[in-house]
Amino acid sequence: MRAVIKNGIGVFSPQGFLDGASGIAILSIEDIEATTAQNADMILVSLKRVIFFNRNGLDAFVKMFHKVRTANHTTVGFCDLDTKKYDAITNFYKNDLSFSLFRTQEIATLFATSYKNQNKNVLLYSDDKSQRSAMAIELHDNGHNPIIAQSESEFNKKAAVQDAYDIIITETYLGQMGQKVATRVTGNAIIYTVNSFLDAEIGNTFNIEYHNNSLNVGFRLFIFDTYKVVSMNIHALNFFSKLSTAGAEYNATICFVGMSFDKTPKAFKETLEDSGIIFFDQMDDILQNKELLKELGASSAANIKNKRLLNKTTVTELPNFIDATVATIEMMTNSSAIKDAVQINNIVIDEIEGKIASSIGYYGDLDGMIILVFPLNIAKKACELLIGEATEDTELVLDTLAELVNIVGGKLKTLLGDEDISVDITLPRTYPDVTSLLEIVQDKKGVQVDLSFNDDKFLFFLTR
Amino acid sequence: MITKEKIDNFIEKIPPAPKALKETLLHLGSGDLVKAANAAKEDKALSTYLKVLVNKPIYGFRNEVSDVSQIFGILGVSRSQQAVYNYMMTLLSPSKWVLFKLTRVLFYNLQADLSINWQKILNFLNIEDKEILSSISLLPASIIVSEALFCEKKADVELLRSVNPIDLNSVLQRLCNMDLFDICEQIANKWEMPIEVSKIIQAASGMKPSEDVKVNELGKWMHLLLFYTLSQPKYIDAELNDFIDFQIDYVSDIYDDFSQLMEIS
Repeated sequence: MRAVIKNGIGVFSPQGFLDGASGIAILSIEDIEATTAQNADMILVSLKRVIFFNRNGLDAFVKMFHKVRTANHTTVGFCDLDTKKYDAITNFYKNDLSFSLFRTQEIATLFATSYKNQNKNVLLYSDDKSQRSAMAIELHDNGHNPIIAQSESEFNKKAAVQDAYDIIITETYLGQMGQKVATRVTGNAIIYTVNSFLDAEIGNTFNIEYHNNSLNVGFRLFIFDTYKVVSMNIHALNFFSKLSTAGAEYNATICFVGMSFDKTPKAFKETLEDSGIIFFDQMDDILQNKELLKELGASSAANIKNKRLLNKTTVTELPNFIDATVATIEMMTNSSAIKDAVQINNIVIDEIEGKIASSIGYYGDLDGMIILVFPLNIAKKACELLIGEATEDTELVLDTLAELVNIVGGKLKTLLGDEDISVDITLPRTYPDVTSLLEIVQDKKGVQVDLSFNDDKFLFFLTR
Repeated sequence: MITKEKIDNFIEKIPPAPKALKETLLHLGSGDLVKAANAAKEDKALSTYLKVLVNKPIYGFRNEVSDVSQIFGILGVSRSQQAVYNYMMTLLSPSKWVLFKLTRVLFYNLQADLSINWQKILNFLNIEDKEILSSISLLPASIIVSEALFCEKKADVELLRSVNPIDLNSVLQRLCNMDLFDICEQIANKWEMPIEVSKIIQAASGMKPSEDVKVNELGKWMHLLLFYTLSQPKYIDAELNDFIDFQIDYVSDIYDDFSQLMEIS
């Protein structure tokens, strides 16, 4: 069984009866290796659909937790637990509870570095005082407003007030929390989370190749969540200065949020500012300020020094790129595609209105970027299978479109893999309108393929 | 990925029940085991299947049983009918499984595991009804239908499920407005199986509780039995465990009785 990864959180969902034999059958060694390689911020095992489990059944997952955390510093644990399940697990692992337990998946995401649901009023209670504090600190760090009940009676009283809290946390236990450079995307900004002491090691833990490809795909705003950074030394200072200067070629902005200079020389701040890094106290200062977010995150192709041209290998593999895209959209919409025209040129979009777009980059033996421009109704139809119903919510469609483009990326990886070409894919970027897309690709030459799905025009563009 | 036409095409290609089978069932229906055995002997494949099935360890016979009359005599009318329906289901199963890592033997084992435990459940519930006993035979049809419809799309299904935890039943429902259990019902109709069989199978999907209290209760037991069976390592290895979603809330009120009956500790 493999975990489904969304917004950096990987979830395993076993179902039925979980004992020693079935636990091992569900989670093979290859599955554990694949989970480690996925490098998620949080790995959860949902017990929502497990009606029976024993310690042997859970052990397979606990072993996986240890491996994944040792390799990646990932936060790991079980979620979707009712009282009976929670009590059983705490009983099984009395003195060895190194992983976390979350009553629901929603509660788990509050502890992940996801700001999508920020600023929640959270009532929390645990009979363990240190757990209460640990949870409150984590929640606070993640931008929520935790309210701690000091006793069970206080908790019951507070919890009884209707609609007073967005989320109520009980029967939740925090094991060792992860500490890694986590990556996720919010509103087309990439957020990296860094912790504790920043030194020369950041050069090893930070995935520079991923960062560079994100720049190439069109991400322009990179936010470092530094709430949990204690101090920084000169090596880390050099690293960030260089990163910022290198990003300037792309008009990219790097921001530090929540950095305290209590234990870091004040002069470092000036050096970082000189290299173009902007400081904010709160994540909300950027993420809730839509104007600023738009301005900093706006695509811009200006100042790209090395314009890259399509090469022969990329063109040779063109059928694979088109196949991956067409097959995915055909699969999702149950319609068949007709290829109308192919040309090598700058991107030409006839009608700008009523279209949304998405791009995904790939790197490795080959590199480049696929851009897909959808009329809104095709995008909606293509997303119906994933959402489960028709929707008018464009934001939801854009989110789901990112999932769909991930499928395209996955398919491409497989097709190229069959020819011994190994590539990795970046996170997909979505564009709510064509104008924002054009800002980044209008000067780029690439292969444009016009396709129609049941008379609806759809555009595929491959560039580097 | 899957279209309504593909489903219609699949249903259309289901062969009608062979003549010898129809006769066997007819005689079993009137309780005449001798005539039923004679009719069954006409169909060599059926005779062989019955021999293989009842000699599986789960049936617990000490000595090998090889004659069809003897098999029907030991099994009695209800279980003989169930065995014949099980055989009918194998006629639909593919010679080579692609989507699931199943083999002919493993599929027979699955049928045997389900059948024996279903009888145990009906004994516990004090139900003696040969149509209800036979209804379990139709349950593996959902697996056969999944295999038939999705086998060419294995890679697509895997890719889709790597970004979204969606079961095959939902994929089909969203694409074609029809689910695996609706197709099972159509198979049952085509093979003139009793209407009650289809009703129980629909309830056993866990998605469509029946208004008929008795049918709904049986649907719950069957749904739980399916996942109890599919949680065995051999079926997990065959990738059967998550082809449909387990509806834990649907079965929660019968779980204690179930765990007692199956001696789960």
